[in-house]
Amino acid sequence: MKEFLHQLRLLRRMNWVMLLVIISLIIVGVCFIYSATSMREDSTTDLYVKQIKWAVVGLVCYFGTTLWDYRRLRDVSWLFYVMAVILLVAVLFFGTRIYGAKRWLMFMGVGVQPSEIGKLAVILLGACLLSPAAEKYGRLPSMWWLFLLAGVPMLLVMKEPDLGSALVYLPVVMAMLFVAGARAKPLVMLVASGVLAVVLVLAAVALPERLGMTPDHQEAFFRTIRLSDYQRDRIEVFLHPGKDPMGTGWNKRQSEIAVGSGGLRGKGFLNGTQNNLGFLPRTVAPTDFIFAVIMEEMGFMGAMVVLSLYGVLVVCGLYAAMVACDKMGRILCVGIVMMVFTHAFVNMAMTIGVLPVVGIPLPLVSYGGTFMVISLFALGLIQSVYVRRSGL
Amino acid sequence: MVAAGETIILELKRIRVVLIIMLGLLLLLGTLLFDIQVSRSQEYEASLHKQSLRRIRLPAPRGRIFDRNKICLADNQPCYCLAFNLEDIRQAGKWKKTVAEVQRRIGELNGLMGRKAIISEEDIWLHIRRRLPLPLVAWRSLDQAALARLLESSVDMTGVDIYVEPNRAYPENELAAHLLGYVGKTDFSDEDLAGFQYYLPEMEGKMGLERKFNEVMVGKPGERLVRIDASGFKHAERLVRAPKPGANVILAIDGRIQALAESVIKDVPGAVVVMDPNNGDVLALASSPTFSPNQLVPVLPKTLWEQLNSDPAKPMLNKAVAEVYAPGSIFKPVTALAALNSGVISAGFSVDCPGYFMIGNKAMKCWNPNGHGRVDLRRGIEQSCNVYFITLGLKCGNEAVSDMAKLVGLGEKTGIELDREASGIVPTPEWKQKYWHDQWRNGDTCNFAIGQGALSVTPLQMAVVAATLANGGEVFRPRLVLGVQDAEGNALTNYPVTSVRRLPLVPGVMQAVRRGMHDVVMAPTGTGGRARIPGIEMAGKTGTAEYGEKADRKKHGWMILFAPYDKPRYAVAMVVDDAVSGGLTVGPRLHDLMMGIFEVKETLKEADG
Repeated sequence: MKEFLHQLRLLRRMNWVMLLVIISLIIVGVCFIYSATSMREDSTTDLYVKQIKWAVVGLVCYFGTTLWDYRRLRDVSWLFYVMAVILLVAVLFFGTRIYGAKRWLMFMGVGVQPSEIGKLAVILLGACLLSPAAEKYGRLPSMWWLFLLAGVPMLLVMKEPDLGSALVYLPVVMAMLFVAGARAKPLVMLVASGVLAVVLVLAAVALPERLGMTPDHQEAFFRTIRLSDYQRDRIEVFLHPGKDPMGTGWNKRQSEIAVGSGGLRGKGFLNGTQNNLGFLPRTVAPTDFIFAVIMEEMGFMGAMVVLSLYGVLVVCGLYAAMVACDKMGRILCVGIVMMVFTHAFVNMAMTIGVLPVVGIPLPLVSYGGTFMVISLFALGLIQSVYVRRSGL
Repeated sequence: MVAAGETIILELKRIRVVLIIMLGLLLLLGTLLFDIQVSRSQEYEASLHKQSLRRIRLPAPRGRIFDRNKICLADNQPCYCLAFNLEDIRQAGKWKKTVAEVQRRIGELNGLMGRKAIISEEDIWLHIRRRLPLPLVAWRSLDQAALARLLESSVDMTGVDIYVEPNRAYPENELAAHLLGYVGKTDFSDEDLAGFQYYLPEMEGKMGLERKFNEVMVGKPGERLVRIDASGFKHAERLVRAPKPGANVILAIDGRIQALAESVIKDVPGAVVVMDPNNGDVLALASSPTFSPNQLVPVLPKTLWEQLNSDPAKPMLNKAVAEVYAPGSIFKPVTALAALNSGVISAGFSVDCPGYFMIGNKAMKCWNPNGHGRVDLRRGIEQSCNVYFITLGLKCGNEAVSDMAKLVGLGEKTGIELDREASGIVPTPEWKQKYWHDQWRNGDTCNFAIGQGALSVTPLQMAVVAATLANGGEVFRPRLVLGVQDAEGNALTNYPVTSVRRLPLVPGVMQAVRRGMHDVVMAPTGTGGRARIPGIEMAGKTGTAEYGEKADRKKHGWMILFAPYDKPRYAVAMVVDDAVSGGLTVGPRLHDLMMGIFEVKETLKEADG
């Protein structure tokens, strides 16, 4: 009983601004999932109701992890990691194929995306590895370990294939290493080589002649780096927006029109023509392209509200990192914030056409059960760090 | 702990760096958003509007078909439809509610008008999904009574529109059905609909002149642009291009003669063609039994279609052009022309007819078993003496006869603008070798000379022969269509009179044959005497040809005729199935036809004057 009261007192120390931001984002998400599906007649249970249910489950996890002492992660992070890897392997064998990729595992009629669980597992494990139990700072032999351990789920996710989700691992691991105190030089070099690789791939897709590549070379190159045709198409569409506006470029083009025609104030809730008339494909409007629906209907103002909410979330999360009582807390917060931020940034950038289309959801807003629960679970961990901040 | 304190400071510094990078990136995103949504908003707005414009294909009024006296044979009649405009009925919330509301109103109006709507719940859903900005037609071809009940009632009419759809109608019902054909719903090709999001039902010709002249009658479809608002409803509309009405087709057919022609064969399977021998105009072309095209539009009932096609009497077949018959004795004038023109005989050449003709040891019977006695050309034609014509055929040879048959247009299509025209057969030794793998014998020549054997003709071809005999040797191409006029009556195309050839005849030959044909009708003993009418001198030739199983003894009765004898204005060919003989079965029918025509003529004269 005493224990329980102590726990409740912990809740009072929670970062209420962050909770408010989280709930606001969830509400925005539910509203626009409703808008994106309001013209649909085919689904028996409405997606927004499902999303509310998922949010409730997620919020329970959120308060649960807030109360749970993150320092006990040391005991369970390996277990969690192994489970995630097993799920990622399982999805390759037993996964349900949707739109050509095996990303889903069905548990009693509920679809789970192991790739989302994998991200969190890597963050949790990373936080433990980068903060030795004995407060022994200095060289970090575990840095390479982390790369190796992050590499396993990352490769498995790429195999699904889900390149977008796989790439999210990189900035997350980088940020954690950076804050953990890894030397800046190798990190910068890693980032630089990453950028170089991306430039090389883009060049190989767009300007093979400049690189002195014949079509045969090009094919061989793509085979070597395992760039699939649809990925190549997406890159080409990104580089040449006018190309094939009815085919691969459709989502991107329609999303841009939706965003652009929103203007300053938008067309009003439920009034987005792009969305309602089905120009924005109905399969992606409530999920990866939900931000397009928001921007069309609420305009620049609405988009800025969402953008600011993420800004506040990032500030709150990193503030928790700053006031954390130990290194593990700091790195945990940075990792989680980076994960949420990367998703949000890449998703919004893709929606307005400044990044190629990759299937990455908008955290807390896009429709999707696994990611909603995982996000809230992770954000709960930030609260867990915050309520146990130094000075308790 | 100093070292630890330093690392903590480093970590905090680096967290700040991460924070600054993140906020910087969010700011960058905000700037890009501003650029797209505010600065370049116009640009996207424009492409959005372009997207929400829908093009609707508007059907053009179909051209009409007139007879030579401007009597309308194929017309467009308003068909009153009742349609829902879903934008006015749209219920708040889910579409399900709107559908339920539409169904409720359908039920209400069903009761009021006493007619069931033609749409089901699925149709409503389909309409919402595919054709939302268009009216949803729920009742078609409403009659006056239903309309009156509707207008007098106090039922809520918001969102309900009475609207008029042009419907093909044939005012004279069966008249010229085989010529006109009928229309059905257009099967649009992808090309037709390219660029259009919506279209309304259109009609296209499926048979007869409706099909042959579909291109000119169909006109040019119009185009309407509709701007769709957020919920898919019509927001504003603009007529971009008015539909261009199709052109009218003017036929050479004289509706009144056509009606007469149809009436004289309506009780028996057969065909009749009336031509103007002076220019080849087809004044009437009838086939029996017939059908009513009005029953086939706007939608062809499947059971009726099956019934029409399985009927052994073939009501859909235009026997005047698509069926071939053995001509029998009506071919004899052609044999006579061939023999006379080849110079092997003169008109005075005579033969003694014992009632049969021996070829080798086989006797070919003359139809009169007692024999005709001594017959010359004139009497040979009048009596249709087989022995006389067999003799002529053998004398001039089969080649002279087949050449003459081809010259008068047999064995090839006349080129009339109708479906499935048959060409018939003019047998030659080469033909027999090719198809029957046998050589030509004298017996073949004998059969050929009297219009039997492999020789086959269409009634239209025999009408051309009759016209050629009537005008003294000019073979005209039958002219069914006089021209095409636009909706205002300006001529677009005129189809000229076309002479195929002038027969290369020795002077006097035609006169001799015509004299014989005159006697067929006018002489007291002539085989075609039953066709005679008071006051008009006519000429003709009867014929009877067996068909089907020999045991059935079924015969086609034929007669060709032209009148008046001196200055012919009408040339006729008629065939009927299951006849006793040409003279007995066809003669009286032609009598009725010619009586009618010459009465018609009097009124025509007044009209012309």
